[in-house]
Amino acid sequence: MLLSLMIFIPLLGMVAVLLLPRESEELIKRVALLFTLIPLALAVYLFISYDRSNGGTQYAVNAPWIPAFNIQYHIGIDGLSVTLLLLTALLGPICVIASWRNIEKGIKAYMALFLLLETGMIGFFAALDLFLFYVFFELTLLPMYFLIGVWGGPRREYAAIKFFLYTLFGSVLMLVAMIAVYLNSGDPGARTFDIPTLITLAATAGHALNDLNFQIWVFLGFFIGFAVKVPIFPFHTWLPDAHVEAPTAISVILAGILLKMGTYGLVRINMAMFPQGLDHFTNGVGFWGNSLALLGFINIVYGSFCALAQTDFKKLVAYSSIGHMGFVILGLAARNDSGITGAILQMFNHGVISAMLFLLVGVLYDRAHHREINGFGGLGTRMPIYTGITTLAFMASLGLPGLSGFVGEALSLLGAYDKFKLLTILSTIGIVVGAAYFLWTLQRVFLGTLNPKYEALPEINGREILTLVPLGILTIVLGVWPNFAIDMFRESVTNLIDVIQAI
Amino acid sequence: MVVPLISLILLCPLAAFAVFGLSGLVNRRFPRQDYLSTVAMLAALVCSFLLLREVVPSPESHTVKWISLGGVTFSMGFYLDSVTVIMLIVVTLVSSLVHIFSMGYMHGDPRYPRFFAYLSLFSFSMLFLVVSDNLLGIYIGWELVGLCSYLLIGFWFEKDSAANACKKAFLTTRVGDVGMFIGMMMLFTKFQTLSLYGEGGIFALAANLNTGDMVWLSIAGILIFCGAIGKSAQMPLHTWLPDAMEGPTPVSALIHAATMVAAGVYLTARMFPILTETSSLVIAYVGGITALVAATIAIVRFDIKRVLAYSTISQLGYMMLAIGAGSYVAGLFHLTTHAFFKALLFLGSGSVIHAFHAMHAHGHDDEHDHAHEHSDHDAHGHEHGEDPDSRHILGSEIPADQDMRNMGGLRHKMPITFITMLIATLSISGVPFIFSGFWSKDAILGGVLGRAMEWNSVHHYILFIMALSAAGITAFYMFRLVFMTFFGEPRNQEMYDMAHESPKSMTVPLLILAVLSLPVVNILWFNESYVKPPPQPHLHAPQHAYVSPDSNTDKKGYTVSLFGVSEAVAAEEEGGHDTHGAHGDDGHHGHGPAHTIAMVLSICVAGLGIFLSWLFYHRRTLSAESVATTFRPIHNLFWRKYYFDEFYDGVLVALTVWKARLFAQFDGSVVDGIVNGVGVVTRDILAAFTGAFDNRVVDGLVNRVAQVTWAVGGKIRRIQTGAIQTYLFVVLAGIVLLILIFRAL
Repeated sequence: MLLSLMIFIPLLGMVAVLLLPRESEELIKRVALLFTLIPLALAVYLFISYDRSNGGTQYAVNAPWIPAFNIQYHIGIDGLSVTLLLLTALLGPICVIASWRNIEKGIKAYMALFLLLETGMIGFFAALDLFLFYVFFELTLLPMYFLIGVWGGPRREYAAIKFFLYTLFGSVLMLVAMIAVYLNSGDPGARTFDIPTLITLAATAGHALNDLNFQIWVFLGFFIGFAVKVPIFPFHTWLPDAHVEAPTAISVILAGILLKMGTYGLVRINMAMFPQGLDHFTNGVGFWGNSLALLGFINIVYGSFCALAQTDFKKLVAYSSIGHMGFVILGLAARNDSGITGAILQMFNHGVISAMLFLLVGVLYDRAHHREINGFGGLGTRMPIYTGITTLAFMASLGLPGLSGFVGEALSLLGAYDKFKLLTILSTIGIVVGAAYFLWTLQRVFLGTLNPKYEALPEINGREILTLVPLGILTIVLGVWPNFAIDMFRESVTNLIDVIQAI
Repeated sequence: MVVPLISLILLCPLAAFAVFGLSGLVNRRFPRQDYLSTVAMLAALVCSFLLLREVVPSPESHTVKWISLGGVTFSMGFYLDSVTVIMLIVVTLVSSLVHIFSMGYMHGDPRYPRFFAYLSLFSFSMLFLVVSDNLLGIYIGWELVGLCSYLLIGFWFEKDSAANACKKAFLTTRVGDVGMFIGMMMLFTKFQTLSLYGEGGIFALAANLNTGDMVWLSIAGILIFCGAIGKSAQMPLHTWLPDAMEGPTPVSALIHAATMVAAGVYLTARMFPILTETSSLVIAYVGGITALVAATIAIVRFDIKRVLAYSTISQLGYMMLAIGAGSYVAGLFHLTTHAFFKALLFLGSGSVIHAFHAMHAHGHDDEHDHAHEHSDHDAHGHEHGEDPDSRHILGSEIPADQDMRNMGGLRHKMPITFITMLIATLSISGVPFIFSGFWSKDAILGGVLGRAMEWNSVHHYILFIMALSAAGITAFYMFRLVFMTFFGEPRNQEMYDMAHESPKSMTVPLLILAVLSLPVVNILWFNESYVKPPPQPHLHAPQHAYVSPDSNTDKKGYTVSLFGVSEAVAAEEEGGHDTHGAHGDDGHHGHGPAHTIAMVLSICVAGLGIFLSWLFYHRRTLSAESVATTFRPIHNLFWRKYYFDEFYDGVLVALTVWKARLFAQFDGSVVDGIVNGVGVVTRDILAAFTGAFDNRVVDGLVNRVAQVTWAVGGKIRRIQTGAIQTYLFVVLAGIVLLILIFRAL
């Protein structure tokens, strides 16, 4: 019940916002904020009350929804989903606050769409029925399309359509795979979309789902669907465009949550449901056995180098996301304790850190109205607090120990080295290049003599600081005390590894 | 007592930094950050001294779980033995003095409080590194030290040269750090732990490896050492350190004496038990080459701070050489003595620069009085406005107040600075008996020669010759510095007239450090029975060695038992052996002829170096210019610093940036081009075959979703902002309707 509340309260908020008159903008914003704060409170409650010693599903609700196809309204959370739910619920109000001043037109529709988006995201992380999972997955797509396409930058329509079609392309393949799984799950009448049931069936010897070839193909179908979201090379080119055009808060959601939907799907479906397929792509033997790790490596190095070449601040952060998601893929490919834990931590931490980075870019953009890195210079003297927070975010992102980014990266690499020695060693290039592009940016924007054009640039204001402080605290807390997050999903990871190793 | 003391040592500086960070966020600065940081550091110093007593019985460690996974646990904890305590005292002592010195030196800087906050964080990071009992903890402290050096080197970030230097320092050291991290991954994969000590620790597990794993272990050792190459500025990753002189001078003292660069030597020493013959030799050679090459570069520098920078690199090479050659205690002893006399040299040079800057500030009010280096460089940059890198390479634009060609005769003006710097110079040059540097340097030379003779190893003879030559060159260029700065006639009368002795907050630390450069102080606590080298199970003497393979050198001898060891401690340690105290008055030989030979030779080369320096730069019977002309190619090689910077900037950096651009172009044109192409083609095909497409899709469900999506998407695209809520109502109604319909089914 608690979980259902959390999913549908933003939807209720959307209705509330739509019922308000268009002119009362302040009220709309406050209502929207309220309806994102409630899920946050619920998420915090779930985070605290979740039984950490038991990695299984908790707070489950299972009710028939479309009995004709045996589709259930089945939701529930394990350690992984509760962690990502917290992230989603946290970014909700932060994004509303970040949109407070810089959405100039149609605030009502904007907030309504945003609340719809939040319902989609929360539902996605809670869904335990494949069909429901898919519905929520698609539900995030539409509001995102409009949020980019209407409130975005100059090339917003191109970016929005590209984002939409790309994701749709992936999700069609996913849909095909999903239906294949459904059709193979049993005799007519006994077919199911229920994820836990499917996982059990896929592990049952002799069952149609427990077939290597079948698993390889559906693994691929799901994988491409999720790979577009992550994004994994070569399915990544929508990301820089979408980020550059999207308004600040939407970039935050895009990098913070939507990318995690891809990797979450990989863990929840690909790894847990198709361990044989997973083994085929990660056993370290031959080309296919290294393929997933190879993709992780390519993401890391390719993303980092592309970031190094960018002169648009936001595009640089977007490419850095591609690089950092590579560590998640690499860690998952290792499929051992440290690899998977590192990957999940990296998911959470990247959500927090990239959210900070996009917020920070937004702060600068709102003031200077451009994002050309070379067009700044010396802002450190003019905006010391802003510079300090940016330095913190950059350092967290480039993996400085003591801040959260390091732990996820290091664990992923430590785990991956066990299996993919060469690829992991080569991936460490990303660590140096990552430091290079962030420090170079830091220098070009903040160090040196102050660009006279910006002598009167106002310092970051209280509202902006308010959006950044919780994230900043999280990066420090998780950097110093990673067990705070790991405690939540340790048992779930152990369960997952049991499933993977059972083949 | 140990746990609270160590906690205090770590927490005091951290808290001082935290106060700064938090007060910054609410935009209300804590009023006396300088006192806060300094007091915190002094408290840590006191705690460190209290620990001195605690450690004597046996090493102690204490761990807590940091990251616990299903199968693996990473712990954080400390390990306290004599080496830890020595390092703690060195770090806190030098850091405290630097804090005090900075109160005078940095006074009036616009970011004065921030400077102290950074110093606190820097000290914390270093102390964390020192006490950590596992590689992960060391790595964390290690990287934090890197961050702090970044912040401090770039403290005056308005200067482009400082902004470049701090970036360079961070990135160069990170290259080494990645090597270290790969080494950690190797060790972790093998042993499933990153703890070093105890039964389940890496050292114990590595000791059980058999000979088949020696290549692997050597590689792991060398990779870990890569981290030290970066942090301790060894060849070929040394180029960041001279540029790091862009930071305020007290920072130079802290980085180059007690903290950052010492971290590399400390790490290498800590890794001693897993060093194999190969990795030891690699370390020794890297150290030896660094010691020699850096010394030759130092000869031709005119910037007083850069002479010291290269001298630091060279001395660090010495320490690495010592550890690689098995002289563990000697290496650490040199680290200690060097920390004091090098801090003294840097602070002394700071005092000289301070004296000159006052000239620029003459007639100005107090405010301007301080940001001297700062404003000075600023003016410089504006005037010439050229690439700061080329300036370093050419060495043609040295800030006037750091250029030794503007100095001379300053001993009359700044007697305290002169005397103290002279003591440090005598110490680093290895002038016998009353200066600490002599003893530590001699311990290294003796150790290397001892191993060479013992093992009859050509490598170690070569290393010994390298070390000996470097010692001679060191004496030469250090006296060149002293002669050019303090002796002779003033070369720049205007600047000379303005020069003055520095205030007490600056001279008192100098005097304290001068006392610490006398050996007697070091001997009180640094002696052979206090510091013991750990065993090296995988290091064996070669077959042809004169001695039995298991006899490790340096077991008790060679090192530092001069002027009588503190009897109580020694006696407690090993009742029977008489290697201490007994050879009281004349020092520490007594272990074969190696040390006597080494000592005689080292006195000779030091004397020769000083004598030549005197001829060149004081008596001027020999002309440096004419020698430079005669040996033009060699002089150029030294002057251009062996072209390392040219190579890195022109080749490596350029290549990386080129590659990045290539990738980005590839991404924009090829990958995205394909995507857009596919998009166009698909759109056309879809337009033509929409009907056919519908029928072929797997089943009706897909049909419905696709249709709805396309239809809605197509229509909505035309609707602009105002009408969105209509759309939303439609979607909402649709969802409700769908739910109801499906429920009814």
